[in-house]
Amino acid sequence: MSTGRTLEVSGLRAGYVPGVDILSSVTLAAAENAVTLVIGPNGAGKSTLLRAIFGILEPSAGRVLFRGKDVTGANSSTLKAAGVSYVTQEINSFPLLTVEENLLMGAWVFRRDRHRLRRQLESVYAMFPILKEKRHDRAGSLSGGQGRMLSVARELMTQPSLLLIDEPTVGLAPNLVAEVYSLLSAAKTATGAAILLVEQNVEEALPLADYLYLLNLGQVKAEGPGRDFDNSRVRALVQECLLG
Amino acid sequence: MTPETGWLPHASRHLGAAKGWTVIFSAELLVQTVLSGLMVGVLYALMALGITFIYSIVKTINWAMGEFYMIGSYIQFVAVHYLLGARWWWLAAIISAAGTFLVGLILEPILIKPMYARPMQRRDDYATVVTIALLLLLRSLAVALGGPNQYRPESDLPVVWIGPLPQEGARVAAFVCALLALAVFWIVIKKTWVGLALRAAAQNRVAVQTSGVDVYRLDAIAFAIGVALAGLAGALLAPLFMVFPTNGAVTTVKGFEIIVIGGLGSIPGALVGGLLLGLAESLGAAFISSPYQNVYGFLLVIVVLIVRPDGLFGERGREA
Repeated sequence: MSTGRTLEVSGLRAGYVPGVDILSSVTLAAAENAVTLVIGPNGAGKSTLLRAIFGILEPSAGRVLFRGKDVTGANSSTLKAAGVSYVTQEINSFPLLTVEENLLMGAWVFRRDRHRLRRQLESVYAMFPILKEKRHDRAGSLSGGQGRMLSVARELMTQPSLLLIDEPTVGLAPNLVAEVYSLLSAAKTATGAAILLVEQNVEEALPLADYLYLLNLGQVKAEGPGRDFDNSRVRALVQECLLG
Repeated sequence: MTPETGWLPHASRHLGAAKGWTVIFSAELLVQTVLSGLMVGVLYALMALGITFIYSIVKTINWAMGEFYMIGSYIQFVAVHYLLGARWWWLAAIISAAGTFLVGLILEPILIKPMYARPMQRRDDYATVVTIALLLLLRSLAVALGGPNQYRPESDLPVVWIGPLPQEGARVAAFVCALLALAVFWIVIKKTWVGLALRAAAQNRVAVQTSGVDVYRLDAIAFAIGVALAGLAGALLAPLFMVFPTNGAVTTVKGFEIIVIGGLGSIPGALVGGLLLGLAESLGAAFISSPYQNVYGFLLVIVVLIVRPDGLFGERGREA
């Protein structure tokens, strides 16, 4: 097991239709207690990368190591049980279930362990008191910000050591964007998890990034510690990608 | 056109005849008609519930639903006639439901799962073709195994008197069992982990997957529960509607009528729609004309389509 590197991806290739690869060969890593930011223009393969890591899409080549163990092509339930969480770009909750039922769904993989269930529910409620207050309300009645909170809280139920997060701020009002990022920071400090964050909203996410990858046409175009990148450099790089 | 009244000792008071329709009315007749409508309606509701339930999880219309009804009725006949005897009809019904559940559990991963497991362009078409093929296969299998004959499992249930009104024993038994089955279904859906996952999957399939639920297994369970409801209906109605290779066809049509009435994907819609259809048929048969019994349901469907095109409980513009 390599030190501190929760996720290591090497030479990953994947696509939705045989013969058409969205990811041609992606190599990257995500360290624990750090936010690894993946940026890139539309169609660069950012979301596909997360889907291939989480086993929703089976990679045709390459390797995915989670805490030193080969999990390439493992299915979602195995990964979830092992401590990987995936927050999708789409609405990630069940609007007609209550807040508490949503959280219980987050604990599906250890549903038979009643003590752990109780404990995790309490700790998540302690972290997000508003969710405890509304635990018998339908998730669909929550505000946009509370909804995102519920999405993250649901993933924290399993105490994940790797969080895959796909564009958490897409379509949100500016004041909510800040709220979501502070939520992510809090989640990082609370769990010490590795966070692999895919973002379109580069300027806002950049201050959060400990390490950064720029993805273009299914490959890593540039990488480096977050502090090496400022907005103008990132903008220039993305422009370069788009203009070819 | 006179209504069949031979089996109704209390239907006697003539209100009058207009345009050739003989209208017979009495409070007893009305109550009896409503009762038998509700009784058969609950059985229809079981069918519709199965269709709607499978649709809401697997996102597939199972056109072979009536064939699972047929399988249930055959298991019931074999169990009652050869193995258990009429006295154990209720045990046979449980076996029939469990048997269709198993058949569904085995068939779903083979037939429906490829729709999701492999990248596919036209999922709906695939599901339609596969389930219609299954329908033909199962019917032919029934002919091959049992011949084109009609069977009827023995029933020694006595006539039940509800006040002054007689009801066929098997009909009352079917009604009670169907209510019990609905109660069990409700408990499973509301109170168990698998029920929670099923409710969640109906709302957001991807989020269920990212919760670590094996959605393929969940699909198989949902499919099996849905067809077991049909199988149970077949078993319970076997002494009334007979056992033969195409006996599921009519009930399937009724199931889909109810779906249109209640709204696709709606569980309350399936229940209310089932009761309404049962009522429309039995009221129409008693007070208008009984040979046209199957027409009243369609009239109800047309009215609902005009007034509420999405069904009584349907969501407007629901996405698959």
